[in-house]
Formats: sequence, structure tokens, C-alpha cells
Amino acid sequence: MPHTRWQTRRRLIEGDATPWLALLVAARAMATAVAIGLIVLEPTVDSTLLVLTAYGAISAAVIATMPRVRQSPVFWALDSAAALGCVLASGDWRSPFYVLWLTTLALPAVMLPLRQAIWLAIAAPLIYLSLGLFGGPAPGALRPITSETLVIHLLLPPVVVAGLGYATAALQRAQEERTRRERLAIEAERRRIAWELHDSAKQRLHAAHLLVSSLHGRVAPELVPAVERASVELESAAADMDTSLAELRSPLEGRPLHTALEARARELVTDGGPTITVRGEAPPLPPLVAAHAYRIVSEALTNALRHAEATTIDVTLERTPGGLRIGVADDGRGLPETHRPHATGILAMQSRAESIGARLVVASRDGQPGTRVLVDLPAGAPRPQGATA
Amino acid sequence: MIRIAVIDDHPALRAGLRTVIDAEPGLVFVGESAGDEESVWPLLRRTEPDLILLDYHLPHGDGLQLCHRIKRQLPVPKTPKVLVYSAYASPELSLPAALAGADGVVDKGLAARELFEAIRLVHRGERLLGDPSQTVVRSELERLEERDRALVGLLLNGAGDAEAAEALQMEPSEVQHATLRILGTLRAQVPTGAS
Repeated sequence: MPHTRWQTRRRLIEGDATPWLALLVAARAMATAVAIGLIVLEPTVDSTLLVLTAYGAISAAVIATMPRVRQSPVFWALDSAAALGCVLASGDWRSPFYVLWLTTLALPAVMLPLRQAIWLAIAAPLIYLSLGLFGGPAPGALRPITSETLVIHLLLPPVVVAGLGYATAALQRAQEERTRRERLAIEAERRRIAWELHDSAKQRLHAAHLLVSSLHGRVAPELVPAVERASVELESAAADMDTSLAELRSPLEGRPLHTALEARARELVTDGGPTITVRGEAPPLPPLVAAHAYRIVSEALTNALRHAEATTIDVTLERTPGGLRIGVADDGRGLPETHRPHATGILAMQSRAESIGARLVVASRDGQPGTRVLVDLPAGAPRPQGATA
Repeated sequence: MIRIAVIDDHPALRAGLRTVIDAEPGLVFVGESAGDEESVWPLLRRTEPDLILLDYHLPHGDGLQLCHRIKRQLPVPKTPKVLVYSAYASPELSLPAALAGADGVVDKGLAARELFEAIRLVHRGERLLGDPSQTVVRSELERLEERDRALVGLLLNGAGDAEAAEALQMEPSEVQHATLRILGTLRAQVPTGAS
């Protein structure tokens, strides 16, 4: 799935969809009711207009029930055009359908990035103004009942669109900030626990292991199996603790590798920057292996963002007969002519790969622009050297 | 008789080491310190140990920097052997340990008899520094400046501070400061078990 700011925004809305959607649908229903009321109150009831008011009800139902449709810019455009069509059909820009048209601006205002929403806020009154000029009641002249009518009709759209857009952007920023703080707090807490485990419990385990293993060859033969067993158990306990410590300190925070990478991709995308996609799934991996793989891919992503001038970066995870292959491919300018295989970033990745028994290849893509980083993790990856004697 | 001092900030581990070392024929536990400046130097001057078991992770400083200073400040023939005792004896530790003048690196997870064997080997004059791969060494050197790399090369090839100073046209005291600084830089690269 591609990760863009737009998507974050969409998720923000769809995430707690119920109250927001209920409000939107209620606004539409109200706009439709207003239109019906006004048309019925007219001295001469136009039955065509009454039929047209059904559009309000139908579109409200579509928005409420079909998330794919309500997320599509094509639908927003059609929806808005249909409401304008109703206004045109009523033969007067001071139409009962004006409010319905206003509600059609809400979806794009909320889902578009703020910059585009501002453009919409500028365009909307201009569109309505030209509709008023060229449509009814008198083409070529506006004929407002009072100048207030005109001002209200032209001011409401920008206020609604800019207000909604700004509120959504602020909400999004607040939510991102909260998520970031929560993550930092969790990370700090995990590190504290890891440090305490490492600093006290693990040192005591080492001491106990030393003491028990020193009994070897010094106890009566019938006690030897017990001493041996105790020594092995203590050694295993220390190894288990290493695993837990690695998990606690791991950037994956207990998530599968692909989930952690998707989250990382979301953190890295910027407005106007390349799109990052993460495809495929990783099997359960030993925590140290997963942590190193995560850091290698993070480094590759950072390199691509910093140097490649790419527009898309693809991260793929695929299982191979030998284990797991992770690819990071960008469509940027590729490796520089004066290729520096010893560049610090690449060396760090290489060193990480080596410590988990993985193979790392960094190369320009065959016949295509861009760079490709391949990491081959062996299936039963060996215990990382860092944790052994 | 091998006289051993232990520098480690974990009381439980020091107590365990004292018990097992005292129980082993041929080894004597002569004293312990938590690694703070106030207790390390009096301990070493008083006991003049043959070998120091030195924790890599000290709370107030770096075990390897301490190792470097011990080797410089206790002159021959009183220079003790130093065995760096680390919870994660990773390959990245070999280069800085060699630079600090340590005689060996052992993992804290070793069984008592393996530790004793390491102690005896080092006391006999062998070096237990492991053999890191080319990639590891290269990536560590990559972090250093050109001038520091030259110094590391000289020192690892067995040059003394004075020789290195002459070759690089520095003061001998500058060489010592540079070595301590390089140890600090390299420390940031040694994994602590997870990253």
C-alpha cells in the first residue's frame, strides 16, 4: 500500500468514521429537507424539482454505505456537479439546492491536503458566481434580492472548505504528535526495563552460573549430574534473558517486521517526497535478526530519500527457498559514477548484515533508473555473533 | 599464584567472582573495586595485581579507557594483564580492546573453568582478542578521521606511544589523548546486545 500524507489524512477521518459520517449524512439530509420545504412552499410546485431532491437522499445513502466511493475524487466532482445541476435546473442561483451543494464540498475539504483544500476554497465561490451569472434567473445578470444574499452565497463555500480543511489539518497534526509522544514514552519505558534487567538480574545470573559451574569436578560423583544440569539451566536462563532484552530494546516493539517497516515508511514520507510502498510479509524471525533487518532497511530508505531524488521507493519482502529476501528499490538517479562501496552508510548496513549471517547487495537496477538494495536472510538464521562468547 | 583484582560495578558479580577465584587453586583474589576513580587507583597501588578482570560497561566511564590508563600508569614490571569482562563480547570489541592494550576479552556468560583457562592463558602472555572480520574492522575505521586511522594503524602494529608520536610528529601526551578519544568514538559502535 502506498504511504502518502493524503492517506494518513484519510485514515484520520475514516478511523473514527462514525460521528463524522453521521454529521455529514445528517447535514445532507437536512439540506435535502430544506430544499423540499422551500419547493413545496412555492406557490407553483414544480414536480421536476421534487424529483431532483431525491438526489440528496440517494447520495447521502451512498456516502454512508460505500467507503470506496466516498474516498474517490471522481465521486466528489460528480457529486458537486450533480448538486450544481440541481441548482441550474431550479432556474435560480438563489436555489433551495444551494445548501445541498455546500455539503458536497465537505468531503474534499476534509480529505484533500490543506494546500489543495485552500485552492478549492478559492475556486468554489468563483464557480458559483459564474453559475449565477450564466444560469437563471436572468442570464447575464445576478439580480440578488439584496446584496447580502450574494455575499452569503459566495462567502459560505470558502468559509466551510477552509474551516474544515484547517480543522482536519490541525487534528491530524495533534494526532501525529500524540502518537509520537506515546511511542517515545513506550520506548523510554522499555529501555528502562531492559536496563534494569541487564543491570541487576542478568549480573546475578552470571554470578550464579559462575558459582555453580565452579563446582564442576569438586563434588561427589552422585551430585555431578545435578551440578551440570543447574549450570546448563543458568546458562540458558542468561540466553533467554538476552532474547528478552533484545526484544525490549528492539525497534520492532513486538511487531512483525513488515508491520514495523510499514510504520517506518509512514514516518518517513513527506509532502512532495517520494511514495514508499511496503509489500509482502515476513515470517516470525529471531528478535535480533529482525532488529538488524529493520535497521538495514531503515538505512536504505534514508539513503534513498537523501540521495536518490526518487519518486517511488518499493520495499518488498518475499520468502525464498533459502529464507527471506528483502528488497529496497528506488527510481532515482542510481549509484554515483564514482561508486563508493565504503561509504559509511553502506558499510554499516554490510556490517549489520554480516552479524546476522545475511547477504547484502547494493547495485544500480538493470536497465532501469535507480538503486536496488537486496538483503538475503537465511532461513534458520544463525545466532547473531553479538550475543555469543 | 596469579593475583587477581576485579573491577566491576555489580556487587553480586564481584562477590561471585571472589568466591570462585578463592576456591580455585593457583588463583588469588586480591581486591575489588566498583570502577570509580576513588577506589580503583588505591586498590591497584596497594595490591599490585598480576591480572585485572575489568568490566567493559562501567557506570562512570569506559572500561577500555580505564584499561588504557592502567597500562600507561602502572609501569613495567608492575603492569598487570587486563582481561576485559563484557556482557556482550562482540566482534566489534576486538579492535578497540587491542587499541586500549587489553590482553583479552571474555564474555560474562562463560563457565568458571573457561574463565580460569582464559585467566591462565592471558597470564602466560597469550592474547585473547578474537579475530574480527575485515568488514567489521573496516566499518569501525571508517568512523575515524584520516589522522586517527594512521595512529590506530601504527599502535596496532606494535608501535609504542613514543614511536607513534615520532612517526606522526606529535607529542607523546597527544598520542595518549588521541587514543582515549578514539576509544570513545569506537565505543559508540560496539553493540550492547540489541542494536
